[in-house]
Amino acid sequence: MTDKNEADKNAAGKKAADKKTADPVQMWHSFLGDMEKQFNSMSNQAMESAEFSRLMNQMTGASAGAKKAFGDSMEKYLAAMNLPSRSEFTELGERLLTIETRLNEIMSLLRRVHADVLSGDNAPSAAPRPPRTKRPPSKSGDAT
Amino acid sequence: MSISAQKAAPSAADRIQLEVQRAIQRSIKGVEYFASAAPVLGTTEKDLLHSRGTMKLYHYRPLADEIYRVPLLLVMATTNRGYILDMVPGQSLVEFLLQRGFDVYMLDWTAPRPEERGLKFEDYVLDFIPDCIRRVQQDSGESDVSVVGYCFGGVLSLLYASIFTDGPLKNLICFTTPIDFRRMTLFQSFSDRRYFDVDKLVDSVGNVPPELIFQSFEMLRPASRPIGQIQLWENMWSDEFVKSYRMFDRWAQDTLPLAGEYFRQTTKDLMWDNKLYEGTMTVGGRRADISRIKVPILHAVAEHDHIVPYDAAKPLIATVGSTDKEEVILKGGHVSLVAGANAIKRLWPKLDSWLSERST
Repeated sequence: MTDKNEADKNAAGKKAADKKTADPVQMWHSFLGDMEKQFNSMSNQAMESAEFSRLMNQMTGASAGAKKAFGDSMEKYLAAMNLPSRSEFTELGERLLTIETRLNEIMSLLRRVHADVLSGDNAPSAAPRPPRTKRPPSKSGDAT
Repeated sequence: MSISAQKAAPSAADRIQLEVQRAIQRSIKGVEYFASAAPVLGTTEKDLLHSRGTMKLYHYRPLADEIYRVPLLLVMATTNRGYILDMVPGQSLVEFLLQRGFDVYMLDWTAPRPEERGLKFEDYVLDFIPDCIRRVQQDSGESDVSVVGYCFGGVLSLLYASIFTDGPLKNLICFTTPIDFRRMTLFQSFSDRRYFDVDKLVDSVGNVPPELIFQSFEMLRPASRPIGQIQLWENMWSDEFVKSYRMFDRWAQDTLPLAGEYFRQTTKDLMWDNKLYEGTMTVGGRRADISRIKVPILHAVAEHDHIVPYDAAKPLIATVGSTDKEEVILKGGHVSLVAGANAIKRLWPKLDSWLSERST
């Protein structure tokens, strides 16, 4: 008997066994899986249409426009109240970012200087790292 | 019926008993689920080597007594957090690589701040990645560096590799990286140039909010979240299932905003003009033609990837100029390719064997 015949026979036997012992929980899982696939597939087809794209982007555009209009009016209100606006905070943030970047550069430089000092003969050794000598396992699977 | 078939099919009474037990467990563990904190992820020991705004460079502490000569830099996608590659012990690609003797670094991203809305491809490709590679070279003392890019991290790595052709890049590995953006049909529809006013969006919001990014991913499979929640309830009795669900769900919802100008460029250059595939991409006036890439390259793609369909990723290997190049198609989806039980069995061993031969 060929492997294919054997496999067909096993599959037929399994189907028969499944029929005899129809498990409602299993059926529920299959139903859920099928429903998910079908719904996703149908939605994807709908989403590929130009009409969907137009509607979706109309909504996104309207939402972004409303957000901008609200932000503009809020800025005027905050100016009238003599309070800092979001854009002013953002400008402050930009300046802080520049300071942070500079600080990081200084820290990095200090670390390098510190490492150079530690690598001197009289200094305690820095945390040791493993040697970079590892070789790939041989074809037979032995580690080298 | 064979003995094995009888074993596989319990009696109706056993089945009812099992379901009653599970229903009780569901109620008990359901309360625990809402009362307990989210799982702690990304716990492999690491040091922050460098930080600059949205960019973070980490070095993971070695776990092997002997390591390969060439260090490995993981470049994460800009839309998500890097802990997908370092979930929990036993399910962490980073931990696996460390145990296999690789010296691992990660270029990860945090949410760009409002003042970083002007970041562009130029910043990511000509500044952040080269800066991190320089720091990896300094820290490791090695001139060669291998790079692994995941999803859009792969796109950024490709752009870097195509510009710095004489650079220190030793090997390039891309995980599920798109290059033919016309084949990302749903994203094409979402960003249809006839209806999508990217300028208006970016000018209005600055950085593109994470909710918008998350929703666009969710819309690719709109039924999957509600069905997933039903499955979660059904499997509430199983600690393993709940743990795994929470890990992946937390990661998926932890989407990052995108810098406004970077999003504008992505939409115009890649989604609309497909410049990477057409070979017309430039970054900061420098040509980024991926056919100029000559280093050994491995591209791992997922058979059932709904975010980066295979057709969008397929041309990569054919287009690069490397002679040592390989594509592996593995079972799984966009995320299960790199993390979870499937990845442990499929991608990780492949990555180990491919990279180990090229890391000495």
